[in-house]
Amino acid sequence: MTERPLVRMTGIGKRFGGVQACRDIDLTIAAGEVHALLGENGAGKSTLINILSGVITDYDGTIEVDGRPVSFGGPVDAQRAGIATIHQELDLVAGLSIAENMFLGREPRTRLGGVDIRRMRRQAAEHLRTLGADLDPRRLVGSLRVGEQQLVEIGRALSLDARVLIMDEPTAALADAEVERLFETIKELRRAGVGIVYISHRMAELEVIADRATVLRNGGLAGTVDPRTASRDEIIQLMVGRSVDALFGEGRNEPGKVLLDVRNLAVTPRRPTPGRTEPAGVDLTVRTGEIVGLAGLMGAGRTELLETLFGAGGSGRRSGQMTIDGRPYGPHGPRAALARGVAFVPEDRRGAGLMLEHSVAENVVLSALATLTTLGVVRRQAVRRTVAEQLTALAVKAASPAVAAATLSGGNQQKVVFAKQLLTQPRLLLLDEPTRGVDIGAKAEIYRLLHRLADAGMAILLASSELPELLSLCDRVVVLHRGRTVATLPRASATQQAILAAANGDDAKETR
Amino acid sequence: MTPPNPTAVEEAPAGTPPPRRRPSLRLPRDRHALVDNFFRFQSLFGLVAVFLIAIAVSPVRNGENIFLSSGNLANIVRAVSEIGIIAVGMTFVILIGGIDLSVGAVLGLAAVGSATLMVDSGMGILPTVLIVLLIGTAFGATQGAIVARIGIQSFIVTLAGLQAARGIARMWSGGLGVPIAYGDGPKEAPEAFSLLSGSINGVLPVPAVLFIAIGIGALLVLRSTAFARHVYAIGGNEKAARLSGVPVRRVRITVFAISGLLAALAGIIHAGQLNQGSPNDGSGYELDAIAAVVIGGTSLAGGSGSMGGTIAGALLLGILNNILALNNIDANVQLVVKGLVIVAAAALQKLRPRIS
Repeated sequence: MTERPLVRMTGIGKRFGGVQACRDIDLTIAAGEVHALLGENGAGKSTLINILSGVITDYDGTIEVDGRPVSFGGPVDAQRAGIATIHQELDLVAGLSIAENMFLGREPRTRLGGVDIRRMRRQAAEHLRTLGADLDPRRLVGSLRVGEQQLVEIGRALSLDARVLIMDEPTAALADAEVERLFETIKELRRAGVGIVYISHRMAELEVIADRATVLRNGGLAGTVDPRTASRDEIIQLMVGRSVDALFGEGRNEPGKVLLDVRNLAVTPRRPTPGRTEPAGVDLTVRTGEIVGLAGLMGAGRTELLETLFGAGGSGRRSGQMTIDGRPYGPHGPRAALARGVAFVPEDRRGAGLMLEHSVAENVVLSALATLTTLGVVRRQAVRRTVAEQLTALAVKAASPAVAAATLSGGNQQKVVFAKQLLTQPRLLLLDEPTRGVDIGAKAEIYRLLHRLADAGMAILLASSELPELLSLCDRVVVLHRGRTVATLPRASATQQAILAAANGDDAKETR
Repeated sequence: MTPPNPTAVEEAPAGTPPPRRRPSLRLPRDRHALVDNFFRFQSLFGLVAVFLIAIAVSPVRNGENIFLSSGNLANIVRAVSEIGIIAVGMTFVILIGGIDLSVGAVLGLAAVGSATLMVDSGMGILPTVLIVLLIGTAFGATQGAIVARIGIQSFIVTLAGLQAARGIARMWSGGLGVPIAYGDGPKEAPEAFSLLSGSINGVLPVPAVLFIAIGIGALLVLRSTAFARHVYAIGGNEKAARLSGVPVRRVRITVFAISGLLAALAGIIHAGQLNQGSPNDGSGYELDAIAAVVIGGTSLAGGSGSMGGTIAGALLLGILNNILALNNIDANVQLVVKGLVIVAAAALQKLRPRIS
């Protein structure tokens, strides 16, 4: 850090109404470094990033780029200064091609003023090659997987000649193989002298990729560490301000009798949807009081399996046997599944879990309205009481039950989704990536909640891309590959290696 | 639970239980809440403002403010009653993120049906009304079923429905208006049907009373039923609603059925007021109804809005037309003013502070 940093932020502060989102934060970004930004949700990371990327224009403190003070009037100014941002929700237009997306708003022109499509494609292809991405620039972005879309975003940043690249949770939606490729790209960019701000909740990644880590807590600076030498406990302690022991909790009591039994489940879709892997031979059992993990690479069909079990999958012919309590089970819709005591917490909580503009209270009671009405009229008193109970039980932090769900942090939003599903008093809980985008404090709370539910006799089937999560939470791990059960590993023999080997398929020819 | 039902408190009739003042589920009473409430009650403020302006600019004859005369006020409500009833149904549809373009045509079909069944088929009032309402409901439900089952956008389905309903109305009436003569003879409708063009005690026009009653009923439904929560949920996030066990298809079909039912009712009133049923009746009414809903602050994206707003929006449009007419302002100018008011109402909603 001897040379002059690319970006120097000094004494940054920002207040939203009564909330001090950022307070006196200093941050420097040097050329060719990967600077991790850590902190729980609400610690001030997004605010800081929004200030740096020109989204927030009214703040305290100063920003210097190349030693010159700057004041951005909007994101375009920041981009001109060489600061590009890749948001967690990617800003791509699904109906346009890769090339069109990369040059959106600054398409190269022909002499006649039309779009120079050929030049655009050629340049897009060059950027994709730099990233080692084997993609045709003519392909529609909507047909790409999330990891590929991310590469398109990075390509766009490259085409902007970005010298500072801000990446907000870039791996949140990626499978392990894609994460590795992203890391290669990041190393490439680092060699080219790009300064990278890297936001992630995953500790293991930081050890691999980050040169420096700045930790924020409650809007202030909590410390700067070298993630390659600092222990995880040390970093977590900086983030939450206290030590987190036993993040995952203890092992638990013996599972009971078989609740869900699935034999050779397969779904033949009426119309195959690209990107979906329907179940194609799934065997699994979940007992009461047991947490069963569902592992597999991206595209292995974990989400599709959970959706099928909840009656929410694509239309198609179902074969094989499913039983709950030994009685045949074949839900034609979520209502039927809920009626049999099956609840589902979807992966995409903003898109499928919550009505973001509606109040927390309205979200919580939606699944259980039938029990809170008399002749179709909602009993307000009962609703108020139920909501209060649920919010307390799950320790949801919300200003009031009347605030919009969108105002809550990711972890608290997830707890609202849990509260809603638990109100239906399920016996089998299906979870799809329940801790994605959730900060470490809320993660620990969710783990404790799962233990508590399992101890109370609930059967839990949990799909996750985070292997440590599966290994420490689950009594058994079922590994899927291309929609098939390829391994069922009891806790004792489940290791990262064993899961990965199975997830990659026994047969080398089958790997993609 | 606090559905965004701004005007509910103001418009609840004396006979309904008083609104609870328990604040626990309401927004905190700070400055943000004041601002928020202004926008939530926007259409009501607009209604009051337009009302006051109307008093101010009304012509005065013999010392009497013509606008404020009870006869004029009653006429305003009568004039908006058909649009208002349609707008009530439209509100449900828009709340789930849909649109119903067929309501004007269904009104025409219902008007033709009322006239034809009574005059040509010699039916009594009750069977006529029941059959016509049933036709409207079935028509709406069919459109809802197509939207819910096949997944075609409601704009397209109801655009097709509009054409179909007009076509059926023309075939049924032979393409001409069917006049309604009253009496006991053949080809005559029962005298009682003309009540629809009359008034209660000579003051309250019957259509106005029907509109207000239906408006209040719908307002209560939207305020406190599980059905309404499901409507809001589907508009807010259909996928989340489905995964939460909301019977999305059933609610969709019901909502379009309600819209068809109310459009048919408006058609019966229309026939009663004009003493005839013409297949071209009600053309363009769907747009006025949508305008009333939009002025009422309901989002076309679905998920947020209120019935009180729609009622206020319909009345606001009525007062506007009335005061412009009282001042002998050209009907074409009225159209322009209506356009400006719609844009202004929508612009106000945009100013509403968003949740961060």
